[in-house]
Amino acid sequence: MSAATRSLSRKRLSGRNALLATAMLLVAVASAFPLAWMVLSSLKTPAETMQVPPVWLPHTPTLEAYGKVAGVINLGRSMWNSLVIATVTTAGILVTSMMAGYAFAKYSFPGRSLLFSLLIATMFLPPIVTLIPLYRMVGSMGLSASLAGIIVPNLANAFGIFLMRQFIAGVPDDLIDAARMDGASELLILFKIVAPSVAPAIAALALFAFVYHWNSYLWPLTVLQGNADAYPIVISLSRLLSYNRGAVNTGLVMAGATLAVLPPLILFVFLQRFFVDSIVGSAIKG
Amino acid sequence: MLAPAVTLIGVFVLVPMLLTIWLSFQDWSTQTPFSEASFTGLDNFQEIFGPTSVGRDFKTALLNTAIYTALSVILILPLSVAFGLMVYQREVAGGTALRTVLFSTYMVPMIAVALVWSKLYSPSEGPLNQLLGLVGIGPQPWLSSPRSALLSIVFLNVWQQVGYFTVLAIAGLTQIPGSLYEAATLDGANGREQFRFITLPLLRRTLLFSAVIAIINAVQVFEPVALITQGGPVGSTNILTYHIRRVGIERAQGGLGSAMAVMLMLSLIVCVSALFAFVDRKDSE
Repeated sequence: MSAATRSLSRKRLSGRNALLATAMLLVAVASAFPLAWMVLSSLKTPAETMQVPPVWLPHTPTLEAYGKVAGVINLGRSMWNSLVIATVTTAGILVTSMMAGYAFAKYSFPGRSLLFSLLIATMFLPPIVTLIPLYRMVGSMGLSASLAGIIVPNLANAFGIFLMRQFIAGVPDDLIDAARMDGASELLILFKIVAPSVAPAIAALALFAFVYHWNSYLWPLTVLQGNADAYPIVISLSRLLSYNRGAVNTGLVMAGATLAVLPPLILFVFLQRFFVDSIVGSAIKG
Repeated sequence: MLAPAVTLIGVFVLVPMLLTIWLSFQDWSTQTPFSEASFTGLDNFQEIFGPTSVGRDFKTALLNTAIYTALSVILILPLSVAFGLMVYQREVAGGTALRTVLFSTYMVPMIAVALVWSKLYSPSEGPLNQLLGLVGIGPQPWLSSPRSALLSIVFLNVWQQVGYFTVLAIAGLTQIPGSLYEAATLDGANGREQFRFITLPLLRRTLLFSAVIAIINAVQVFEPVALITQGGPVGSTNILTYHIRRVGIERAQGGLGSAMAVMLMLSLIVCVSALFAFVDRKDSE
């Protein structure tokens, strides 16, 4: 290859790379833009949010809108409700998924694969399919309009069982057999020996469950029947919007949305490695 | 070990699913106990496919859901592969940062997505029409026109979900042995040919999985419709999750709502089976 063609091909390569870098930047900007707009709008004055053409950067950023959110909805209570719903549900999912995942990975019993398939099939069932009878059932259990009504039906799920089984299957049998020889109970083995060796998968499941149930909207809305004391933050947000209709205040809605987005987003930024690894791991092993 | 999970899923998923099927053949008000239900055969199904307003609304919602789902999948799959390649390549730095930005939108509650996008779409005060104006495209009506409202909701759904599917695509890409590309390069295959004959065929299983998840996620869209459009304008964004809840919970017509839910379940089974059959045939080719 002559020097001339070599430099030509390098130029073509770096031209391609420049194009690729531009495309990547555009995708990142498009992806980040809506959230940036949300935060910027929450810092604008009411007049700025109504201006035509729109103002991009607030001239004098103000936290006024955040103060108003607390005046329209019971912000502390809503955040607390969301925290309770997400935390208790996640704890339940972790325990039930680890136990069932352990059984499916390490016990053999008749009908194992049939039962497993049946449970996994429910992963593909959209919640709306069961919503109507479930609403009635939870009502007749005396749980409607309460946090318990939101939490109890979600304490176990197929995705958690699937994820735990995939990862626990990789724990060596010798480790478990040795503990059994020492007379350890099965629950002790699960939580003291198996759990530590699948800790990253447990962390991933915890994060997924927490974010999913922090964000969940349809079921709480249905089961709470307008009991505002039990509203999680995502449902309180809709009240900001209806308040908004009378006196237009986009900043108020954007401030509320920002507050609701922060907890899952912060969790993700610090722990994203677990999310990505578990998706990759379950997709490859699955 | 199995008792807690099996009991919970049995009571709160499998029993309600069977009840939905049973209720679809009953005349039942959601405000009464199940014992009040009375058998009506196929009446509910006849009604939801009939010529009355119940039938018209359901058929519109079914069609809207099908269009919405198809558009979501058609947009998400190619984008997830393109973005996955951007993250996976090693020529230009910043792939991991791009993955973080893309995946972060998946963590945002749908309700916040709906609220933010309703402002982005605002015809006069929103930034999207302003940006379009810069490149010489006139203002779009977005959510306020029956012709564009459903597509506008597809866009916000794609924006929120594509990062998750990008991570799935990356998982698939890491499974393709690098030696295949080396051999292809030696044989003189260019980048496009390598993509066409190595990457795409070997991503088929990943794409099948992605398509199934994308379909299941798409039919669950609720918040933007419930909060922003209420199914309008003129029914153009009335999708099944919203419609079934309105009929079965708000109007308490439990039998009719259950029949609609059964139709949704059947449609999903047909779609997913067809997808699997399609990929199996491709595999055996």
